[in-house]
Amino acid sequence: MTVMQQSASRRGGGSTGLYDVLDLILDKGLVIDVFARVSLVGIELLTVDVRVVVASVDTYLRFASACNRLDLSGSDSVGLPDLVGGTVERGARGKSKGMISGAAEAISDTFRRDGDDEKQPARRRRSSSSKDKESDAE
Amino acid sequence: MSTYVYGIVRADGAPDPATLTGVGEPPAEVRLVRGGDLAAAVSTAPEGLRPKRRDLGAHQEVLVELARHGAVLPMRFGAVAEDDSEVAAELERSAGHYAGLLDRLADRVEVNVKAAHVEEAALRTVLAEDEELRAANEELRAAGGGSTAERMAFGERVSDALAERRERDAETVVRPLSEHAESVVLGPPVGGCLANVSLLVHRDRLDEVHRAVAALQQEKGGLMEIRLNGPLPPYSFVTPPGQAVG
Repeated sequence: MTVMQQSASRRGGGSTGLYDVLDLILDKGLVIDVFARVSLVGIELLTVDVRVVVASVDTYLRFASACNRLDLSGSDSVGLPDLVGGTVERGARGKSKGMISGAAEAISDTFRRDGDDEKQPARRRRSSSSKDKESDAE
Repeated sequence: MSTYVYGIVRADGAPDPATLTGVGEPPAEVRLVRGGDLAAAVSTAPEGLRPKRRDLGAHQEVLVELARHGAVLPMRFGAVAEDDSEVAAELERSAGHYAGLLDRLADRVEVNVKAAHVEEAALRTVLAEDEELRAANEELRAAGGGSTAERMAFGERVSDALAERRERDAETVVRPLSEHAESVVLGPPVGGCLANVSLLVHRDRLDEVHRAVAALQQEKGGLMEIRLNGPLPPYSFVTPPGQAVG
C-alpha cells in the first residue's frame, strides 16, 4: 500500500504539509479524559489568533492601502468573470500568500519561541502610516 | 514514567513499532501497549514535551505509518497517560467504542481541503461588486490616501465585504466536495481561509477527490487557492468514549 505516501513524503524539506494540517493535529483527534495533555501554552491561540488578525486595525489599514494601489481602470466595463479570470491572474499569483501567510507566520512564531525553527517566517511590515510605504509583506 | 499516546489500532494488524520514530529529542522509541484486541502506539513521554515542529511531525508520522497498515484512531497531539497500565486499562474499559470506530474507519482516510481567497483578486472582486465601496476608494485615493481614521473606516468596510464574500464562497467549495465524502467536518477558518473542510473518504475514491479539487481550482481561477492535504489519519472523525461513533 502506498496511499499514505503523499503526506509521508513531505516529511523532509518543506513543512508546508505539516503547517497545513496543524489545526487537525492540535485541535482534532481523539481526546480521552483520563489522560492528561502536555501544555500547549501559546499554540492554542493559533486558531483564535487568525480571527483576531483578520479583524485588526492593522488589517483595516492594510486593506485600505491595498485597495488604494489597485488599478481598477476599466473595471466598470469589464465583467466580473473577465476580471477574475484574466487581468487579475497574473498579478495575483505572486500575492497568493496574503491571507495564508498570516497563520503560517503565527505558527512559525510559536515554533520559534521554542528555539526550534530553522526557517524564518516572511517578514511583515505593519506600519502603514506613510502611504508610499509598503504595508504588507514583500 | 508517564506514557505518550499516539493512537489506537487493532492489535493484530499493528506494524512493528521499531520502524517508528517517536516524539522527543533524541526521538523516543515507539512501542505497543496491548489491551484486549486493541493496541496503543506509545512511547515514554519525554521531559518537558512541547509542541515543537519536530514533535508535531513525529506524532503525525507515527500515525501516518500506522494508517498504512490499517485503521487507526489518532490521538490529539499531547496525550499523556500516567503509565502503560493506565493505557491498557483504558483500551479495555472502552474496547467496544474503539472497536466500533475502527470498524467504521476501516479503509477510510481523511482528506482536508483548505481554500483561501487570493487577496488581491478578492479585493478586486468586492470592489467590483460594490459601487459605494469603489467610490469610497476613489475618494480616498483622490485625497492622497486620506486620514488614518478614514482609511481605517474604509478598511473595515472592505474587511466586512471580504468576510461576507468568504462566507458566500465557502459553500461553493464545500458542496461539490461533499459529494465525494461519506462524512464531512468543517474546521475553523485557520489562516483566514474561507473553507476548511475535512472529508472522510474511502481509499478507492481518493483519486476522485483529487480530481474534484483540481476541477474546482480550475473553475475558481485566480480568485482562490485550494490546497488538498491527505490522505491523513482520520483526526476529524474520531469521537471519545460516551459519544456516538458517528
